[in-house]
Amino acid sequence: MTTFLQAVAGGLGQGSVYALLALGFVIIYKSMRVVSFAQPAFMLAGALAVSFLAEALLGIPSPWGFFLALVLGAVGVALLGLGIERTVIRPMVGKPVFVIAIITLGIDIVVRLVANIFIGLDVRPVGDPWGLNSINLGGVQVQERHIVMLVTTVLLVAVLFSFFKYSRLGLAMRAASFNQETALAQGISVGTVFATSWAMAGALAAVAGTFQATGAGIDQNLWIIGLKALPAIILGGLDSLGGAVIGGFTVGLVESLVATYQGDFAPWLGQNFSVVSAYVVMLLVLLVRPYGLFGTKEVERV
Amino acid sequence: MTSRTTQLLAGLSALALIATGCGRGDSGGGGGGGEGAVRTDVGVTAEPCKDTPNLTKGCIFLGTISDLTSGPFKALAVPITEAQKKFWERVNKSGGIDGYGVDVTTYVRDNKYNPETHNQVYQEIKSKVLGLAQTLGSPTTAAIIGDLGDNNIVSVPASWTSAWAFEDVILESGTNYCLESMNAIDYAVEQFKPKSVMAVHYPGDYGEDAAAGAKVAAEKNGLTFEAVETASGQDNQAGAINAVNSKKPDLVILTTGPTDAAVIVGQTAARGFTGKYIGTSPTWNPGLLKSPAGPAFKALYLQSGPWETFTADTPGHKNMREILGAGVTGNDGYTAGWVWSYPLQAALKKAVENKDLTREGLLKAVKQLDKVDYEGMLPASAGNFSGDANAGVVRETMIAKPDESSPTGVSTVKTFFVGPTAKDYKFDKPCFQS
Repeated sequence: MTTFLQAVAGGLGQGSVYALLALGFVIIYKSMRVVSFAQPAFMLAGALAVSFLAEALLGIPSPWGFFLALVLGAVGVALLGLGIERTVIRPMVGKPVFVIAIITLGIDIVVRLVANIFIGLDVRPVGDPWGLNSINLGGVQVQERHIVMLVTTVLLVAVLFSFFKYSRLGLAMRAASFNQETALAQGISVGTVFATSWAMAGALAAVAGTFQATGAGIDQNLWIIGLKALPAIILGGLDSLGGAVIGGFTVGLVESLVATYQGDFAPWLGQNFSVVSAYVVMLLVLLVRPYGLFGTKEVERV
Repeated sequence: MTSRTTQLLAGLSALALIATGCGRGDSGGGGGGGEGAVRTDVGVTAEPCKDTPNLTKGCIFLGTISDLTSGPFKALAVPITEAQKKFWERVNKSGGIDGYGVDVTTYVRDNKYNPETHNQVYQEIKSKVLGLAQTLGSPTTAAIIGDLGDNNIVSVPASWTSAWAFEDVILESGTNYCLESMNAIDYAVEQFKPKSVMAVHYPGDYGEDAAAGAKVAAEKNGLTFEAVETASGQDNQAGAINAVNSKKPDLVILTTGPTDAAVIVGQTAARGFTGKYIGTSPTWNPGLLKSPAGPAFKALYLQSGPWETFTADTPGHKNMREILGAGVTGNDGYTAGWVWSYPLQAALKKAVENKDLTREGLLKAVKQLDKVDYEGMLPASAGNFSGDANAGVVRETMIAKPDESSPTGVSTVKTFFVGPTAKDYKFDKPCFQS
């Protein structure tokens, strides 16, 4: 039982990284119908910004210096997202979404190359105060950083959902995602909606990147983890915020549990089945629900 | 009409290109006549190199294919390339190769650690260089090894797989992953008597070469052995972590990249693992000591290596540090790039002595080398390319421990030694294939 709970705790910690990333993907997808491949680069840039800021803010007592760095880093990447949307993406609005998706691939490469220069040659610590310390919760060793990751993610999700439910801009974003032209006719600035979605996705990716880097540090391959959000969003449904969160946590949990138990119960699957387990679950879900667990079913008229 | 003109122009330009292409090859062979002249073919021009106008016999062009921007081994590749540039600058300053300058900066290409890209950029530069001053990575070099052999292109690898002992055109230095892991286990047996060994390794001829060597040594020492393959990526280490924590081996031989090593060592220690780790040199990065896994590395980790680290005291190390200058932060990428360049310098020298600086002539010169002066950076017997794999292979390994006071984050605890397993091991094929 302890092993199981330990695997669940680790899975939820890692799952919160995937959930935050998946939310970013879905927010942009809902507003523009584009899967933005720039998310992994934002994740790397965010972690890097936080690592420099945390170094600069060492004077502030722990852990507040780090949290301040995290907030500033997230705001920084949000502004970066905003800038990129305004200069590179906005002129392409109306072009086929495929074109925009390819442009986001280009943005990803450029942002990563610039970030790589700042990483330098050594693995960079992100500057978090928790290290690999763990606390004992009812006999289960849980890493402090996993608790922080989970709590922060739950808080962020709550804030986001209230934003979409109660705020004017949030409602406007939902309306625009439902039907852009009608929203425009109702006086909603679709441009603002696009910009906000890029900023939000950037900030979420920055937090996710920072959390991911708390385990071992930042190297230039950190971005690859951003792609793990893809099975999460497809699993949850490309246009469902709740689906993204559940998809993210599912991927984290499945990976962790498979890594823990597959060696004992299904060794014939090979040693690294956990690496592909998320994709297997995704395929299984797609067989039953082709639009993901919570995705909107599209009606196609032939 | 216009399109005809365009076609004609295009055809003419193509012809011109072909013509100049031929011209380049011919001019390279300028020294082919006359008695006493050095024969040349590809990649050696009669004109001096642009940076060494005083070396009037000509210019030897060497290519470099490395992981310079976005691949996983950039942290090693950039200092390797920089050290090699400085190495050849030093050669040029002290008279070049008997009056020939060496140019390693004109044909530098990025492989992004991708075999396809590696092959593509190799094809771009292959007709312009005599040999390769660096071809980084085992899987990447494997993509061009057939072509290198077919064209007699002598190349310096930046990897330590045991496959290179079986390739004539590859000028490898230092021991390979396979023998290094044997020595690591023999060292552990002598120091802390483990009963069980686990090799946690990447797939391919980096990790599998080390795991194969570890298996041989474990069997010879009567230890239980298990190999656990792991994919690269911080998020993909859960399986390896779980294997270490559930089996609790006394010793883990680790062949991954640095951040993955941090995840594995850090997380297993956080869950109470107290066995030892010995990692091969690409596993290490000085930044790891400052990572959250730093305390775990200090407590559990040792590093094996094919030569002593950046701060060592040999004449070669001292020369390297002096030429790199005081502003450089110590990094064992520099050490590796520097060490790897000695045999190519020796081979070029031999080829000029033989008056045959053609590709074939250079390969012939390589086969005549029975030792290379590494200025003390490798054992005196190192650099024998004249015999078979077993005669030529370097078997010595050193062991280092994490040390914050050293710029590379490690300092030597045991200098060159050959364990009983590596001493007697006979190669008949690369370890990872057996």
